[in-house]
Amino acid sequence: MKKRIFEGHTSVFLDIFIWSRNYDKKREFLTCRYYTLYGDIWEIDMRQYVTFKGSRQGLQLVLDDSVDFTVILENLKVKLESAVVFFTEGTTVEVPAKVRILTTEQQEDLTKLLAIYGLVFRKTTEQQIVATKANVEIEELQTLFVAKTLRGGQEVRHNGCVVIMGDVNPGAEVIAGGDIIIRGTCRGVVHAGAYGNIEATITANRLLASQIRIASLIARAPDHLDQPEYTEMASIKDGNVIIERVNI
Amino acid sequence: MGDVIVITSGKGGVGKTTTTANLGTGFALLGKKVVLVDADIGLRNLDVVMGLENRIVYDLVDVVEGNCRLKQALIRDKRYDSLYLLPAAQTRDKNAVNPAQMKELCKELAEDFDIVIIDCPAGIEQGFKNAIAGADQAIIVTTPEVSAVRDADRIIGLLESEGKHNPKLIINRIRPNMVKKGDMMDINDIIEILAIDLLGIIPEDEYIIISTNRGEPAVASSVSVASQAYKNIVRRLVGENVPLMKIENHDGFFSRLKKVFNF
Repeated sequence: MKKRIFEGHTSVFLDIFIWSRNYDKKREFLTCRYYTLYGDIWEIDMRQYVTFKGSRQGLQLVLDDSVDFTVILENLKVKLESAVVFFTEGTTVEVPAKVRILTTEQQEDLTKLLAIYGLVFRKTTEQQIVATKANVEIEELQTLFVAKTLRGGQEVRHNGCVVIMGDVNPGAEVIAGGDIIIRGTCRGVVHAGAYGNIEATITANRLLASQIRIASLIARAPDHLDQPEYTEMASIKDGNVIIERVNI
Repeated sequence: MGDVIVITSGKGGVGKTTTTANLGTGFALLGKKVVLVDADIGLRNLDVVMGLENRIVYDLVDVVEGNCRLKQALIRDKRYDSLYLLPAAQTRDKNAVNPAQMKELCKELAEDFDIVIIDCPAGIEQGFKNAIAGADQAIIVTTPEVSAVRDADRIIGLLESEGKHNPKLIINRIRPNMVKKGDMMDINDIIEILAIDLLGIIPEDEYIIISTNRGEPAVASSVSVASQAYKNIVRRLVGENVPLMKIENHDGFFSRLKKVFNF
Protein backbone atom coordinates (compact mmCIF):
# COMPACT_ATOMS: atom_id res chain seq x y z
CA MET A 1 0.00 0.00 0.00
CA LYS A 2 2.64 2.47 1.05
CA LYS A 3 4.77 1.69 -1.93
CA ARG A 4 1.95 2.66 -4.22
CA ILE A 5 1.65 6.00 -2.54
CA PHE A 6 5.34 6.65 -2.90
CA GLU A 7 5.30 5.84 -6.56
CA GLY A 8 2.61 8.44 -6.82
CA HIS A 9 5.04 11.03 -5.51
CA THR A 10 7.26 10.66 -8.48
CA SER A 11 4.53 11.44 -10.98
CA VAL A 12 3.69 14.97 -11.91
CA PHE A 13 0.38 14.94 -10.12
CA LEU A 14 0.70 13.41 -6.76
CA ASP A 15 -2.54 11.94 -5.60
CA ILE A 16 -3.95 9.75 -8.30
CA PHE A 17 -7.19 8.09 -7.39
CA ILE A 18 -9.57 6.09 -9.45
CA TRP A 19 -13.04 7.43 -9.11
CA SER A 20 -16.33 6.39 -10.50
CA ARG A 21 -19.50 8.26 -11.02
CA ASN A 22 -22.25 6.90 -8.84
CA TYR A 23 -25.64 7.57 -10.29
CA ASP A 24 -28.07 7.94 -7.47
CA LYS A 25 -31.51 8.76 -8.75
CA LYS A 26 -32.80 9.94 -5.41
CA ARG A 27 -30.10 12.53 -5.16
CA GLU A 28 -30.58 13.76 -8.65
CA PHE A 29 -32.91 16.54 -7.60
CA LEU A 30 -30.49 17.86 -5.09
CA THR A 31 -27.07 17.35 -6.54
CA CYS A 32 -27.71 15.70 -9.89
CA ARG A 33 -24.84 13.25 -10.10
CA TYR A 34 -21.65 12.91 -8.20
CA TYR A 35 -18.46 10.98 -8.09
CA THR A 36 -17.69 8.63 -5.25
CA LEU A 37 -14.27 7.54 -4.34
CA TYR A 38 -12.45 4.34 -3.59
CA GLY A 39 -9.24 4.18 -1.63
CA ASP A 40 -8.11 4.53 1.92
CA ILE A 41 -8.45 7.55 4.13
CA TRP A 42 -4.84 8.55 3.90
CA GLU A 43 -5.22 9.15 0.21
CA ILE A 44 -8.49 11.01 0.27
CA ASP A 45 -7.72 13.31 3.18
CA MET A 46 -8.00 16.71 1.59
CA ARG A 47 -6.76 18.34 4.73
CA GLN A 48 -3.28 17.73 3.52
CA TYR A 49 -1.80 21.10 3.29
CA VAL A 50 1.50 19.82 2.02
CA THR A 51 2.17 18.13 -1.31
CA PHE A 52 5.39 17.11 -2.96
CA LYS A 53 5.76 17.40 -6.69
CA GLY A 54 8.61 16.07 -8.73
CA SER A 55 10.33 18.57 -10.99
CA ARG A 56 13.49 18.60 -13.04
CA GLN A 57 15.36 20.62 -10.43
CA GLY A 58 14.31 18.35 -7.58
CA LEU A 59 11.24 18.29 -5.43
CA GLN A 60 8.71 21.06 -5.21
CA LEU A 61 6.87 21.60 -1.99
CA VAL A 62 3.37 22.88 -2.55
CA LEU A 63 1.94 24.48 0.56
CA ASP A 64 -1.67 25.40 1.09
CA ASP A 65 -2.02 29.15 1.28
CA SER A 66 -5.10 29.17 3.47
CA VAL A 67 -3.78 27.71 6.73
CA ASP A 68 -1.37 28.79 9.43
CA PHE A 69 2.30 28.04 8.95
CA THR A 70 2.55 25.98 12.17
CA VAL A 71 -0.16 23.63 10.86
CA ILE A 72 1.84 23.24 7.70
CA LEU A 73 4.99 22.40 9.59
CA GLU A 74 3.18 19.70 11.56
CA ASN A 75 1.62 18.30 8.42
CA LEU A 76 4.96 18.24 6.70
CA LYS A 77 6.55 16.45 9.64
CA VAL A 78 3.93 13.68 9.49
CA LYS A 79 4.40 13.37 5.79
CA LEU A 80 8.18 13.20 5.97
CA GLU A 81 7.98 10.67 8.79
CA SER A 82 5.73 8.38 6.81
CA ALA A 83 7.92 8.56 3.75
CA VAL A 84 11.45 8.38 5.14
CA VAL A 85 12.50 5.64 2.73
CA PHE A 86 11.25 7.52 -0.25
CA PHE A 87 13.39 10.63 -0.07
CA THR A 88 16.99 10.28 -1.14
CA GLU A 89 19.46 12.28 0.87
CA GLY A 90 20.62 15.57 -0.59
CA THR A 91 17.56 16.14 -2.75
CA THR A 92 16.83 19.82 -3.08
CA VAL A 93 13.39 21.05 -2.17
CA GLU A 94 11.91 24.38 -3.12
CA VAL A 95 8.64 26.14 -2.56
CA PRO A 96 7.29 27.69 -5.74
CA ALA A 97 6.63 31.30 -4.89
CA LYS A 98 3.48 31.20 -7.01
CA VAL A 99 1.67 29.08 -4.47
CA ARG A 100 2.78 30.38 -1.13
CA ILE A 101 5.19 33.11 -0.31
CA LEU A 102 7.25 32.45 2.81
CA THR A 103 8.89 34.88 5.19
CA THR A 104 12.59 34.53 5.98
CA GLU A 105 11.85 33.03 9.40
CA GLN A 106 9.47 30.48 7.93
CA GLN A 107 12.14 29.54 5.42
CA GLU A 108 14.59 29.00 8.27
CA ASP A 109 12.12 26.69 10.01
CA LEU A 110 11.60 24.71 6.85
CA THR A 111 15.33 24.35 6.28
CA LYS A 112 15.78 22.97 9.78
CA LEU A 113 12.93 20.50 9.48
CA LEU A 114 13.95 19.22 6.07
CA ALA A 115 17.59 18.90 7.16
CA ILE A 116 16.55 16.26 9.71
CA TYR A 117 15.45 14.06 6.82
CA GLY A 118 18.50 14.83 4.75
CA LEU A 119 16.80 17.22 2.36
CA VAL A 120 18.22 20.53 1.26
CA PHE A 121 15.89 23.49 1.15
CA ARG A 122 16.49 26.02 -1.60
CA LYS A 123 15.47 29.48 -0.50
CA THR A 124 13.56 31.80 -2.74
CA THR A 125 15.26 35.11 -3.20
CA GLU A 126 13.62 38.44 -2.54
CA GLN A 127 13.68 39.30 -6.24
CA GLN A 128 11.82 36.16 -7.22
CA ILE A 129 9.14 36.89 -4.68
CA VAL A 130 8.58 40.41 -5.90
CA ALA A 131 8.45 39.28 -9.51
CA THR A 132 6.01 36.48 -8.74
CA LYS A 133 3.81 38.70 -6.61
CA ALA A 134 3.41 41.11 -9.49
CA ASN A 135 2.72 38.25 -11.91
CA VAL A 136 0.16 36.60 -9.71
CA GLU A 137 -1.77 39.81 -9.43
CA ILE A 138 -1.90 40.32 -13.19
CA GLU A 139 -2.63 36.70 -13.95
CA GLU A 140 -5.52 36.60 -11.54
CA LEU A 141 -7.24 39.30 -13.50
CA GLN A 142 -6.83 37.65 -16.85
CA THR A 143 -9.31 35.13 -18.15
CA LEU A 144 -8.49 33.36 -21.38
CA PHE A 145 -11.29 33.15 -23.92
CA VAL A 146 -10.98 30.47 -26.58
CA ALA A 147 -13.56 30.97 -29.29
CA LYS A 148 -13.26 27.62 -31.04
CA THR A 149 -13.63 23.90 -30.61
CA LEU A 150 -10.57 22.15 -29.21
CA ARG A 151 -9.74 19.10 -31.28
CA GLY A 152 -7.87 15.99 -30.24
CA GLY A 153 -4.20 16.73 -29.59
CA GLN A 154 -4.78 20.42 -28.93
CA GLU A 155 -4.02 21.90 -25.55
CA VAL A 156 -4.85 25.12 -23.75
CA ARG A 157 -2.68 26.10 -20.77
CA HIS A 158 -3.31 29.23 -18.78
CA ASN A 159 -2.58 30.45 -15.29
CA GLY A 160 -5.93 32.10 -14.80
CA CYS A 161 -9.46 31.07 -15.66
CA VAL A 162 -10.28 29.63 -19.09
CA VAL A 163 -13.53 29.99 -21.01
CA ILE A 164 -14.00 27.79 -24.07
CA MET A 165 -16.71 28.90 -26.47
CA GLY A 166 -17.00 25.53 -28.21
CA ASP A 167 -16.48 21.85 -27.54
CA VAL A 168 -13.51 20.09 -26.00
CA ASN A 169 -13.17 16.89 -28.00
CA PRO A 170 -11.64 13.60 -26.91
CA GLY A 171 -7.84 13.84 -26.72
CA ALA A 172 -7.85 17.61 -26.10
CA GLU A 173 -6.65 19.10 -22.82
CA VAL A 174 -7.48 22.24 -20.90
CA ILE A 175 -5.18 23.12 -18.01
CA ALA A 176 -6.03 26.20 -16.01
CA GLY A 177 -4.79 27.74 -12.80
CA GLY A 178 -8.31 28.87 -12.07
CA ASP A 179 -11.78 27.79 -13.15
CA ILE A 180 -12.71 26.26 -16.48
CA ILE A 181 -15.97 27.06 -18.19
CA ILE A 182 -16.94 25.24 -21.37
CA ARG A 183 -19.92 26.49 -23.33
CA GLY A 184 -20.25 23.28 -25.25
CA THR A 185 -19.64 19.59 -24.81
CA CYS A 186 -16.60 18.54 -22.84
CA ARG A 187 -15.25 15.11 -23.81
CA GLY A 188 -11.55 15.69 -23.20
CA VAL A 189 -9.38 16.09 -20.14
CA VAL A 190 -9.88 19.17 -17.99
CA HIS A 191 -7.66 20.30 -15.15
CA ALA A 192 -8.79 23.26 -13.07
CA GLY A 193 -6.75 24.75 -10.25
CA ALA A 194 -3.70 23.09 -11.72
CA TYR A 195 -1.36 25.01 -9.39
CA GLY A 196 -3.02 23.78 -6.23
CA ASN A 197 -6.25 25.77 -6.01
CA ILE A 198 -8.77 23.31 -4.57
CA GLU A 199 -11.54 25.89 -4.84
CA ALA A 200 -11.42 25.74 -8.63
CA THR A 201 -14.45 24.51 -10.53
CA ILE A 202 -15.19 23.09 -13.97
CA THR A 203 -18.45 23.97 -15.67
CA ALA A 204 -19.66 22.59 -18.98
CA ASN A 205 -22.95 22.64 -20.86
CA ARG A 206 -22.53 18.90 -21.34
CA LEU A 207 -19.97 17.43 -19.03
CA LEU A 208 -18.77 14.14 -20.51
CA ALA A 209 -15.08 14.55 -19.68
CA SER A 210 -12.94 11.44 -19.72
CA GLN A 211 -11.06 12.85 -16.74
CA ILE A 212 -11.77 15.67 -14.38
CA ARG A 213 -8.79 17.03 -12.49
CA ILE A 214 -9.04 19.65 -9.82
CA ALA A 215 -5.88 20.70 -8.00
CA SER A 216 -4.10 17.41 -7.24
CA LEU A 217 -7.19 15.20 -7.49
CA ILE A 218 -7.92 13.15 -10.56
CA ALA A 219 -11.37 11.78 -11.25
CA ARG A 220 -11.92 9.32 -14.05
CA ALA A 221 -15.27 8.97 -15.76
CA PRO A 222 -17.03 5.65 -15.29
CA ASP A 223 -16.90 3.33 -18.29
CA HIS A 224 -20.54 3.89 -19.09
CA LEU A 225 -21.39 7.54 -18.91
CA ASP A 226 -24.94 8.66 -19.43
CA GLN A 227 -25.81 11.83 -21.30
CA PRO A 228 -26.21 14.83 -19.00
CA GLU A 229 -29.26 16.98 -19.60
CA TYR A 230 -28.17 20.07 -17.74
CA THR A 231 -25.22 22.34 -17.41
CA GLU A 232 -23.07 20.84 -14.69
CA MET A 233 -20.29 22.00 -12.45
CA ALA A 234 -17.53 19.91 -10.93
CA SER A 235 -15.90 20.95 -7.69
CA ILE A 236 -14.20 19.43 -4.69
CA LYS A 237 -16.35 18.85 -1.64
CA ASP A 238 -15.06 16.88 1.37
CA GLY A 239 -12.34 15.32 -0.70
CA ASN A 240 -14.69 14.18 -3.46
CA VAL A 241 -15.18 15.55 -6.90
CA ILE A 242 -18.85 16.35 -7.01
CA ILE A 243 -20.89 17.10 -10.10
CA GLU A 244 -23.77 19.47 -9.58
CA ARG A 245 -26.42 20.94 -11.79
CA VAL A 246 -26.03 24.69 -12.19
CA ASN A 247 -27.99 27.42 -13.89
CA ILE A 248 -26.04 29.89 -15.96
CA MET B 1 -6.76 28.47 -61.74
CA GLY B 2 -8.24 25.16 -60.68
CA ASP B 3 -9.14 23.92 -57.23
CA VAL B 4 -6.66 21.89 -55.22
CA ILE B 5 -8.43 19.39 -52.96
CA VAL B 6 -6.68 17.10 -50.51
CA ILE B 7 -8.34 13.86 -49.41
CA THR B 8 -7.16 13.00 -45.92
CA SER B 9 -8.23 11.03 -42.85
CA GLY B 10 -5.45 10.47 -40.33
CA LYS B 11 -6.31 6.82 -39.92
CA GLY B 12 -5.37 4.32 -42.59
CA GLY B 13 -7.73 2.05 -44.43
CA VAL B 14 -10.79 4.27 -44.32
CA GLY B 15 -10.92 4.75 -48.09
CA LYS B 16 -8.84 7.79 -49.00
CA THR B 17 -7.41 6.26 -52.14
CA THR B 18 -10.74 4.79 -53.24
CA THR B 19 -12.40 8.14 -52.66
CA THR B 20 -9.68 9.96 -54.59
CA ALA B 21 -10.01 7.60 -57.55
CA ASN B 22 -13.79 7.77 -57.59
CA LEU B 23 -14.13 11.51 -57.14
CA GLY B 24 -11.51 12.07 -59.82
CA THR B 25 -13.30 9.78 -62.24
CA GLY B 26 -16.60 11.40 -61.28
CA PHE B 27 -15.25 14.85 -62.18
CA ALA B 28 -13.91 13.47 -65.46
CA LEU B 29 -17.38 12.08 -66.23
CA LEU B 30 -18.70 15.64 -65.87
CA GLY B 31 -16.10 16.74 -68.42
CA LYS B 32 -13.75 18.45 -66.01
CA LYS B 33 -10.01 18.31 -66.54
CA VAL B 34 -8.71 16.49 -63.49
CA VAL B 35 -5.35 15.37 -62.15
CA LEU B 36 -4.92 12.95 -59.26
CA VAL B 37 -1.72 13.32 -57.26
CA ASP B 38 -0.55 10.38 -55.18
CA ALA B 39 1.28 11.89 -52.20
CA ASP B 40 1.81 8.53 -50.53
CA ILE B 41 5.47 8.25 -51.48
CA GLY B 42 6.88 4.81 -50.76
CA LEU B 43 3.49 3.14 -50.45
CA ARG B 44 1.80 4.19 -53.63
CA ASN B 45 -1.39 2.52 -54.69
CA LEU B 46 -3.55 5.07 -56.40
CA ASP B 47 -2.04 3.90 -59.68
CA VAL B 48 -3.11 0.32 -58.93
CA VAL B 49 -6.66 1.36 -58.06
CA MET B 50 -6.79 3.36 -61.31
CA GLY B 51 -5.34 0.43 -63.26
CA LEU B 52 -2.43 2.52 -64.53
CA GLU B 53 0.46 0.86 -62.76
CA ASN B 54 2.16 -0.42 -65.90
CA ARG B 55 2.31 3.03 -67.50
CA ILE B 56 4.47 4.70 -64.88
CA VAL B 57 7.77 6.02 -66.19
CA TYR B 58 8.42 9.10 -64.10
CA ASP B 59 6.92 9.98 -60.75
CA LEU B 60 6.31 12.86 -58.37
CA VAL B 61 9.82 12.76 -56.89
CA ASP B 62 11.35 12.87 -60.40
CA VAL B 63 9.34 16.02 -61.10
CA VAL B 64 10.31 17.67 -57.84
CA GLU B 65 13.97 16.80 -58.29
CA GLY B 66 13.95 18.03 -61.86
CA ASN B 67 14.68 14.67 -63.52
CA CYS B 68 11.79 15.20 -65.89
CA ARG B 69 9.23 17.80 -66.88
CA LEU B 70 5.83 17.74 -65.16
CA LYS B 71 4.06 16.82 -68.40
CA GLN B 72 6.24 13.75 -68.83
CA ALA B 73 5.26 12.32 -65.47
CA LEU B 74 1.52 12.76 -65.95
CA ILE B 75 -0.27 9.60 -67.04
CA ARG B 76 -3.47 9.91 -69.00
CA ASP B 77 -6.25 7.59 -67.85
CA LYS B 78 -7.13 4.74 -70.20
CA ARG B 79 -10.88 5.45 -70.09
CA TYR B 80 -11.27 9.21 -69.72
CA ASP B 81 -9.26 11.67 -71.73
CA SER B 82 -9.56 14.50 -69.26
CA LEU B 83 -8.28 12.44 -66.31
CA TYR B 84 -4.59 12.33 -65.40
CA LEU B 85 -2.50 10.75 -62.66
CA LEU B 86 0.73 11.92 -61.11
CA PRO B 87 2.06 8.76 -59.42
CA ALA B 88 4.18 8.64 -56.27
CA ALA B 89 7.65 7.15 -56.17
CA GLN B 90 7.78 3.67 -54.74
CA THR B 91 11.50 3.47 -54.04
CA ARG B 92 11.72 6.63 -51.97
CA ASP B 93 10.14 7.86 -48.76
CA LYS B 94 8.11 10.82 -47.52
CA ASN B 95 11.22 12.90 -46.81
CA ALA B 96 12.14 12.99 -50.49
CA VAL B 97 9.79 15.96 -50.86
CA ASN B 98 9.14 19.01 -48.70
CA PRO B 99 5.97 21.09 -48.28
CA ALA B 100 7.37 24.05 -50.22
CA GLN B 101 8.06 21.83 -53.24
CA MET B 102 4.56 20.35 -53.06
CA LYS B 103 3.07 23.82 -52.88
CA GLU B 104 4.95 24.80 -56.02
CA LEU B 105 3.87 21.60 -57.77
CA CYS B 106 0.20 22.08 -56.90
CA LYS B 107 0.34 25.65 -58.14
CA GLU B 108 1.76 24.49 -61.43
CA LEU B 109 -0.88 21.76 -61.81
CA ALA B 110 -3.73 24.12 -60.91
CA GLU B 111 -2.80 26.30 -63.87
CA ASP B 112 -3.49 23.50 -66.35
CA PHE B 113 -6.29 21.58 -64.64
CA ASP B 114 -9.77 22.40 -63.36
CA ILE B 115 -9.35 20.16 -60.37
CA VAL B 116 -6.29 18.77 -58.59
CA ILE B 117 -7.01 15.98 -56.11
CA ILE B 118 -4.27 14.95 -53.71
CA ASP B 119 -4.37 11.52 -52.09
CA CYS B 120 -2.87 12.00 -48.63
CA PRO B 121 -1.04 9.20 -46.81
CA ALA B 122 -2.22 8.02 -43.40
CA GLY B 123 -0.59 9.60 -40.36
CA ILE B 124 0.24 13.15 -39.35
CA GLU B 125 3.93 13.28 -40.18
CA GLN B 126 5.93 14.56 -43.13
CA GLY B 127 3.70 12.84 -45.72
CA PHE B 128 0.62 14.54 -44.34
CA LYS B 129 2.35 17.90 -44.20
CA ASN B 130 3.46 17.53 -47.81
CA ALA B 131 0.00 16.52 -48.99
CA ILE B 132 -1.85 19.42 -47.42
CA ALA B 133 0.75 22.08 -48.22
CA GLY B 134 -0.63 23.07 -51.60
CA ALA B 135 -4.33 22.41 -50.99
CA ASP B 136 -7.01 25.09 -50.85
CA GLN B 137 -9.67 22.67 -49.71
CA ALA B 138 -9.68 19.52 -47.62
CA ILE B 139 -12.01 16.56 -47.61
CA ILE B 140 -11.86 14.34 -44.55
CA VAL B 141 -12.80 10.71 -45.01
CA THR B 142 -13.89 8.76 -41.96
CA THR B 143 -15.72 5.55 -41.19
CA PRO B 144 -18.34 5.12 -38.48
CA GLU B 145 -15.76 3.86 -36.00
CA VAL B 146 -14.64 5.62 -32.86
CA SER B 147 -10.96 5.36 -33.75
CA ALA B 148 -11.44 6.80 -37.24
CA VAL B 149 -13.52 9.67 -35.87
CA ARG B 150 -10.87 10.48 -33.24
CA ASP B 151 -8.20 10.64 -35.92
CA ALA B 152 -10.42 12.76 -38.15
CA ASP B 153 -10.85 15.19 -35.27
CA ARG B 154 -7.09 15.44 -34.80
CA ILE B 155 -6.63 16.03 -38.51
CA ILE B 156 -9.21 18.83 -38.52
CA GLY B 157 -7.27 20.46 -35.71
CA LEU B 158 -4.00 20.14 -37.59
CA LEU B 159 -5.55 21.55 -40.76
CA GLU B 160 -6.85 24.49 -38.76
CA SER B 161 -3.40 25.21 -37.39
CA GLU B 162 -2.08 25.21 -40.97
CA GLY B 163 -4.71 27.83 -41.81
CA LYS B 164 -6.98 25.47 -43.76
CA HIS B 165 -10.44 26.04 -42.41
CA ASN B 166 -13.83 24.48 -43.17
CA PRO B 167 -12.89 21.01 -44.35
CA LYS B 168 -15.72 18.82 -45.65
CA LEU B 169 -16.60 15.38 -44.36
CA ILE B 170 -17.29 12.11 -46.14
CA ILE B 171 -18.49 9.21 -44.02
CA ASN B 172 -17.50 6.00 -45.72
CA ARG B 173 -18.56 2.38 -45.34
CA ILE B 174 -21.83 2.90 -43.55
CA ARG B 175 -23.78 -0.32 -43.01
CA PRO B 176 -27.49 0.51 -43.05
CA ASN B 177 -28.42 -2.68 -41.21
CA MET B 178 -26.05 -2.04 -38.35
CA VAL B 179 -27.01 1.62 -38.01
CA LYS B 180 -30.67 0.63 -37.84
CA LYS B 181 -29.94 -1.84 -35.07
CA GLY B 182 -27.88 0.75 -33.21
CA ASP B 183 -24.67 -1.27 -33.51
CA MET B 184 -22.85 1.34 -35.58
CA MET B 185 -22.09 4.97 -34.88
CA ASP B 186 -24.88 7.18 -36.12
CA ILE B 187 -24.13 9.89 -38.69
CA ASN B 188 -25.49 12.49 -36.28
CA ASP B 189 -23.10 11.34 -33.56
CA ILE B 190 -20.15 11.77 -35.90
CA ILE B 191 -21.26 15.21 -37.07
CA GLU B 192 -21.79 16.29 -33.50
CA ILE B 193 -18.23 15.51 -32.52
CA LEU B 194 -16.49 16.75 -35.65
CA ALA B 195 -18.78 19.73 -36.24
CA ILE B 196 -17.92 20.20 -39.91
CA ASP B 197 -20.04 20.18 -43.08
CA LEU B 198 -21.10 16.77 -44.32
CA LEU B 199 -20.33 16.31 -47.98
CA GLY B 200 -21.78 12.84 -48.32
CA ILE B 201 -22.17 9.36 -47.01
CA ILE B 202 -21.09 6.21 -48.78
CA PRO B 203 -22.70 2.90 -47.93
CA GLU B 204 -20.60 -0.23 -47.61
CA ASP B 205 -20.58 -1.89 -51.01
CA GLU B 206 -18.88 -5.06 -52.16
CA TYR B 207 -18.63 -3.64 -55.62
CA ILE B 208 -15.92 -1.26 -54.37
CA ILE B 209 -13.64 -4.22 -53.62
CA ILE B 210 -14.34 -5.76 -57.01
CA SER B 211 -13.71 -2.52 -58.88
CA THR B 212 -10.59 -1.72 -56.87
CA ASN B 213 -9.11 -5.09 -57.67
CA ARG B 214 -9.95 -4.65 -61.32
CA GLY B 215 -8.43 -1.19 -61.41
CA GLU B 216 -11.63 0.47 -62.55
CA PRO B 217 -13.13 3.14 -60.26
CA ALA B 218 -16.65 2.12 -59.21
CA VAL B 219 -18.17 5.49 -59.98
CA ALA B 220 -18.64 4.59 -63.63
CA SER B 221 -20.84 1.64 -62.71
CA SER B 222 -24.60 1.98 -62.82
CA VAL B 223 -25.43 -0.86 -60.45
CA SER B 224 -23.37 0.07 -57.41
CA VAL B 225 -24.87 2.10 -54.53
CA ALA B 226 -21.47 3.47 -53.60
CA SER B 227 -21.09 4.69 -57.17
CA GLN B 228 -24.30 6.70 -56.87
CA ALA B 229 -23.06 8.14 -53.57
CA TYR B 230 -19.77 9.23 -55.18
CA LYS B 231 -21.63 10.79 -58.10
CA ASN B 232 -23.74 12.77 -55.65
CA ILE B 233 -20.64 14.01 -53.87
CA VAL B 234 -19.09 15.16 -57.13
CA ARG B 235 -22.27 17.04 -58.00
CA ARG B 236 -22.24 18.72 -54.59
CA LEU B 237 -18.63 19.72 -55.11
CA VAL B 238 -19.45 21.46 -58.38
CA GLY B 239 -22.16 23.41 -56.58
CA GLU B 240 -25.33 21.44 -57.23
CA ASN B 241 -27.78 20.91 -54.40
CA VAL B 242 -28.22 17.16 -54.06
CA PRO B 243 -30.07 15.75 -51.05
CA LEU B 244 -28.33 13.13 -48.91
CA MET B 245 -28.85 9.57 -50.00
CA LYS B 246 -31.36 7.66 -47.93
CA ILE B 247 -29.63 4.91 -46.04
CA GLU B 248 -31.58 1.75 -46.55
CA ASN B 249 -30.87 -1.88 -46.94
CA HIS B 250 -30.24 -2.65 -50.56
CA ASP B 251 -29.66 -6.34 -50.15
CA GLY B 252 -33.21 -7.54 -49.83
CA PHE B 253 -35.32 -8.61 -52.76
CA PHE B 254 -38.31 -6.62 -51.57
CA SER B 255 -36.47 -3.39 -51.20
CA ARG B 256 -35.25 -3.74 -54.75
CA LEU B 257 -38.76 -4.54 -55.90
CA LYS B 258 -40.03 -1.50 -54.03
CA LYS B 259 -37.46 0.64 -55.78
CA VAL B 260 -38.50 -0.68 -59.17
CA PHE B 261 -42.15 0.08 -58.55
CA ASN B 262 -41.36 3.31 -56.79
CA PHE B 263 -43.29 2.92 -53.57
